Amino acid sequence: MKLQRLIWVLWPSFIAAGVAEALFFTVFDPDELPYFGSVLGASRLATYSIGFFLFWLFAASSSALTCFFQRGSDEINRCPLPAPARPIGCPKRSDENASCR
Amino acid sequence: MDTPVKPSSAPPIPEAAEQTLYEVRKKIYPRAVHGTFAAWRWTFVLLTQLVFYGLPWLNWNDRQAVLFDLISRKFYIFGLVFWPQDIVYLTVLLIICAYSLFLFTAVAGRLWCGFACPQTVYTEVFMWIERIVEGDRLARMKLDQTPLSARKFRLKAVKHGLWIVLALWTGFTFVGYFTPIHVLWNEVMTLHTGPWETFWVLFYGFATYGNAGWMREQVCKYMCPYARFQSVMFDPDTLIITYDPARGEPRGSRGKSVDYKAKGLGDCVDCSICVQVCPTGIDIRNGLQYECIGCAACIDGCNQVMDKMGYPKGLIRYSTEKAMQGHYGTERILKRVFRPRVLVYTAVLWLIIIAAAVTLYHRVPLKVDVIRDRGNVMHGSDDPEVQNVYRLQIMNTQEIARDVRISVAGVEGIKLEIEPQPIRVAPTSSRVIAVRVEAPRASLEDRSNRIHFTVEAVDPTHPGSAPLTVVERATLVAP
Repeated sequence: MKLQRLIWVLWPSFIAAGVAEALFFTVFDPDELPYFGSVLGASRLATYSIGFFLFWLFAASSSALTCFFQRGSDEINRCPLPAPARPIGCPKRSDENASCR
Repeated sequence: MDTPVKPSSAPPIPEAAEQTLYEVRKKIYPRAVHGTFAAWRWTFVLLTQLVFYGLPWLNWNDRQAVLFDLISRKFYIFGLVFWPQDIVYLTVLLIICAYSLFLFTAVAGRLWCGFACPQTVYTEVFMWIERIVEGDRLARMKLDQTPLSARKFRLKAVKHGLWIVLALWTGFTFVGYFTPIHVLWNEVMTLHTGPWETFWVLFYGFATYGNAGWMREQVCKYMCPYARFQSVMFDPDTLIITYDPARGEPRGSRGKSVDYKAKGLGDCVDCSICVQVCPTGIDIRNGLQYECIGCAACIDGCNQVMDKMGYPKGLIRYSTEKAMQGHYGTERILKRVFRPRVLVYTAVLWLIIIAAAVTLYHRVPLKVDVIRDRGNVMHGSDDPEVQNVYRLQIMNTQEIARDVRISVAGVEGIKLEIEPQPIRVAPTSSRVIAVRVEAPRASLEDRSNRIHFTVEAVDPTHPGSAPLTVVERATLVAP
């Protein structure tokens, strides 16, 4: 489940980052990008690579937030009841590790 | 704060039988299969990989034939050179790919998935290695069940070693499309690869190893966007891999010499070969499922069994929904391939391809950008002459040098001040030329005036040939 969630976050963002990377660096030449007023000194290859990971990071943050908001507050917050005492249908019921101590 | 909240007297609630939402993946051990479709798949594996691994080593015009040179921002594809400004061709290429996919899917389902997709191709190659090292399905299952022994360790080590070598070679080839591969090869041999080159070889290698060695059908089931929506492109006339239940059922095992029809059995001997060969582990006899990648391994597997039993082939075959219902013959099925939907897709596809080819052929290999130097609008407002400074960026996109002549027109008495002409622009390079334009104030109608630069470029090795001409508009501003 955790792995699935990780794939949900990392994989769509990877695709989105690839598209963003291609479009952005087609239009903007890394050698002409300003960096706080001065020239971005890195090699083009480094800029492309770092740029890709930045795009990936941003897109992944968005995917992660989507995953986060998909869960109700009951799933995220601590529950005062021990696991077996939780009502049927409670998402934390079967998860012993999630019980509060 | 940390005091645990004790449940007062919550009555014990009987545990309802709960199921996780996701089934745990069962490792699939596909059995090797031989037959027509397996041969087709191997043909595609060899063709695509010959192209992928071989292409970067070819040379053209004293450079790598296919090189996506990100460092100098130019893409070389045989005789063509693409600049970032040519991104429209990339868009067109993507549209062509998408349309081809629609067309193939409408005609015969997931042909791409089953025969040409890199995921299928590399999985096939990785499974081939696995089979050579560990043996076929049963041997592999047995090996995985036995506790770790020297033999098991050796087999696993050899398999993963071979996988890693192939994956690294794939990563190296991939990077070789972006860095000249001969240079990269020398760097690898002397262990002097750049940090990013090393990184991307490992990254792509790892992705290949992970996807083809470990993830396999899960990529198709959970990660592929196309797999999710491809069935909307199906219609009742789409050729899909189908089990013929009318012929096969009721299934059941029987001896070869038994008169099974008298026993009320269908043609399916329930040998489960079709399930064993399936790379996604489904049973095609349950009907079309989204996991089916259309590889046709079950057709090959079943046909072999039918041959052995002496039954006609094709209990599992390519057929259409309508054909199954209406018992169409092959001829009628093939006739339905040329239905309006397919004809329209084909027509649109050809239209796009032809339009792209024509524009590509007529592409002028000379691009000009005019930038007016804003800080340099000159002379006082009462001078009889108005001067503007421009920077002309001349891009010579071809692999031959060009001698360029620039002229200006649009206003009566306009003059151009420029370095001695013609100006040589080296092959596949761009050059910025600063020019000063001067015009008599008397002939200007307005504050901003339309002028145009004409750039003519000739091939210095063929001085008599017709020049390339580009006209670029600009504005002359009077203070």
